[in-house]
Amino acid sequence: MDDPFDLIAGWLHETVLIPALYAMGLMRWEDLAHGWVLFAVYGGVQVALTLAVCLPLERWRPVERWADQRAVGVDIFYTILSRVGVLPLVTFVLFYKVQVAMNGWIVDHGWIPPTLEHAIPALIGHSVATFVLYAAILDCVDYWRHRISHRFRWWWALHSLHHAQRQMTFWSDDRNHVLDDLIALVWFGAIALLIGVPPLQFPLLVLVLRFIESLSHANARVWFGVVGERLVVSPRFHRAHHGIRAAGRRSCNYGAVLPWWDMLFGTANFSRAYVQTGDPSGEEALATGTWLAQQRAGLRRLWRTLGRLVRQV
Amino acid sequence: MAMCFRLGVTVPALVLLTCAAMGFGIPRGLASGVAFIVNSSSASISVIDMTSRREVRRIPALREPHHLVLSPDGKSLLVGDTVGNQIMFLDPATGAVQRRVTVSDPYHLAFSPNGKLLVVNGLARNQVDVYDAAAMTLIKRFAVDSTPSHLDFSPDSRFAFVSLQGSGKLAAFDLKELTLRWTEPVGPAPAGVIWWRDKVMVAIMGADYVVVADPATGKVVHRIVTGKGAHTLFLAPDKKIMWVNNRASGTTVSLDAETLKTIRVYNIPGGPDDIDFAPDGTLWITRRFAEKVAILHPDTGDFETIGVGRSPHGLWLNPAAPRP
Ligand SMILES: [Zn+2]
Ligand SMILES: [Zn+2]
Repeated sequence: MDDPFDLIAGWLHETVLIPALYAMGLMRWEDLAHGWVLFAVYGGVQVALTLAVCLPLERWRPVERWADQRAVGVDIFYTILSRVGVLPLVTFVLFYKVQVAMNGWIVDHGWIPPTLEHAIPALIGHSVATFVLYAAILDCVDYWRHRISHRFRWWWALHSLHHAQRQMTFWSDDRNHVLDDLIALVWFGAIALLIGVPPLQFPLLVLVLRFIESLSHANARVWFGVVGERLVVSPRFHRAHHGIRAAGRRSCNYGAVLPWWDMLFGTANFSRAYVQTGDPSGEEALATGTWLAQQRAGLRRLWRTLGRLVRQV
Repeated sequence: MAMCFRLGVTVPALVLLTCAAMGFGIPRGLASGVAFIVNSSSASISVIDMTSRREVRRIPALREPHHLVLSPDGKSLLVGDTVGNQIMFLDPATGAVQRRVTVSDPYHLAFSPNGKLLVVNGLARNQVDVYDAAAMTLIKRFAVDSTPSHLDFSPDSRFAFVSLQGSGKLAAFDLKELTLRWTEPVGPAPAGVIWWRDKVMVAIMGADYVVVADPATGKVVHRIVTGKGAHTLFLAPDKKIMWVNNRASGTTVSLDAETLKTIRVYNIPGGPDDIDFAPDGTLWITRRFAEKVAILHPDTGDFETIGVGRSPHGLWLNPAAPRP
């Protein structure tokens, strides 16, 4: 029954985190810290699993071969930052009070966030099915967030950081501008008020979803067959989204895990080509800069876009 | 969706654990009945046969249940599901679900001694809610600063005392006037609250002591050192011993209820949290990071363990119930 990752997280919490929190006078965060250490442990497992599968795949059937892979390094940094919970922690600390105050205010005005089980009582007691249904709905919600982020120039200024990578690998999944991440946080926060949050007692199911996302960025000639391509987002499918000619408003294949939304809303492209990735419209720092240089370049691009918008008005 | 997992929007709901299972072969006691253990991160309630000391089944909750309380008439066991925004009413003998009521963020909850009110702490929303216990309608909501954790009442049901974990204070609410009477500093990250002999005792998790406060003014009159991360307080059924769990030191301490002097310190690793008392004299203790319940024999200091779900928190024993 004992889960070895729970065991590691529990041990870390008791022997490292609690003494540290106690010494720093931060025991009020003890319960939440327990959640974070688990997030970090499972994040580490995600990275290890992705590495174990994707690295051999990229060696075996690479789409592109690069003489020098320096641009990949920064993507590794992005991955570590977000998956072991550094970025989420910072966001949480910065916005905790706002979030608590907002939720309290909304409840005070008569809205208590429901759950899907509330709408569909048959789901009660079937938590895996509930998780899967949430996953599908949230994937659809993410499809629209992603699609709209390509539509508005100011938003694309931020999201283009994700597209700037010309050496796209399985590490590229988490490369995002922090403001883009923040908008996504608000986006999902709003959805959580509407439909609640999924049951999260299945870290392994979360791991599978995250794995699919990482894999979809892999530099590998991998597709899932005529039927499979239409069930789950593949490296070939997502590569089309990252194609040079698909940057900005002309893109396709916005889905993260399920290609269904692209099929349903007319943005799917199942062409067989393994295209080159990148966004030629952005400055070079977005592609090959350090983490900080990329973040700054994203801000500059946002600033210029906003300036243009203001002049138009 | 993965974006939402990536960003950790829901991470406060995600928690799990485990550590080394310690325990010793101890002759089985004569307890019968059923134990309910709330697995906060598995979103379930473990139903345990107190005779065989085995988990019989799990009752699914919605998202993140923490504490439970028996209704004044003894006919329902209420389980608060914080992230699920629901109180589940269970049959206290069988665990069968009687009904579900939508309630905002029910973390710690308790009925006033006269049975008329149900006070619910909304830890994640900085709200303390007072419900009419019979109708389950909200009478009054207090906005507090911040993180209302545990609560207890004065025996005359006039006042409720709530620890405010985020601000290091204790708050007293007048339940007749429905006003906040006072908030006073008691120490960093206060957690467990209990009324005892015309005083209010509060466990101070950010320190290594329990305070005794004057219920009229909130002023601290005593400090009793129990261990690092003092977290919860429970009075033995015979009212002779006050038990304290210390989160950081991993200990359970017995205090003489009369003198409040330490009698004995027991090592209970894995984040000891809530306690209930079995008729055979053992203490059932949830161990948050160990996914276990400890059954402590106070005479010998040994404990047995039962494996349950992730982050077990609240627990309640019903020795009178038939074997599940
Ligand atoms: Zn995109
Ligand atoms: Zn991508």
